[in-house]
Amino acid sequence: MAATARSALLKYLRVPVKPSLPSNPLPFTLLLRRFSEEVRGSFLDKSEVTDRVVSVVKNFQKVEPSKVTPNAHFQNDLGLDSLDTVEIVMALEEEFGFEIPDNEADKISSIDLAVDFIASHPQAK
Amino acid sequence: MASASAAAAAPSKPEVLTLFRSLLRTAREFCDYNVREYVRRRTIDGFRHNKDLADPSAISAAFSDGKSQLEVAKRQAVVYSLYAPEVKSVMELKR
Repeated sequence: MAATARSALLKYLRVPVKPSLPSNPLPFTLLLRRFSEEVRGSFLDKSEVTDRVVSVVKNFQKVEPSKVTPNAHFQNDLGLDSLDTVEIVMALEEEFGFEIPDNEADKISSIDLAVDFIASHPQAK
Repeated sequence: MASASAAAAAPSKPEVLTLFRSLLRTAREFCDYNVREYVRRRTIDGFRHNKDLADPSAISAAFSDGKSQLEVAKRQAVVYSLYAPEVKSVMELKR
């Protein structure tokens, strides 16, 4: 008697079980965490970088603007010394808003080297 | 004694350029336009003034002076940050 009452009650109370996961889960790639655009950075277009580097160098007071070409060497073509080169690299850091480490900055001795480095650096903006 | 040990180690060119770069980087940290530009100008003028030094002891004396000035500049950048000007200099406005 008690058993039949119990099973009748259970039949009434029992909830049908459904799988809680959707049958077609989201593709795995959508679940991967993405870095924000700002942290990941993006690469600048090389011709834009060239224009901006050339204009920074032209604005440097010791440089004669007419001599500045996209592949000019700071010391051989523009008549600058090593101190001027450091100053130009610092000015480029300000223009592109990121810090160039010392060992990389030492290697930048011409406009095309500067363009190559900045265009390959994701933080340059 | 101090000059003898300084003369023993005249700084190499990369060391001098690193000091120059460090001073310019520290100069950028000043929040006051006038001080920032002064430190930058003073750094550039100081290195230009001494660029023809040939005597190793004079070079290392200038180098150690530059290093102590770098420490001064770093400390002062912190001190000045506590008394930052409330308005920007007119020179900082974008044209």
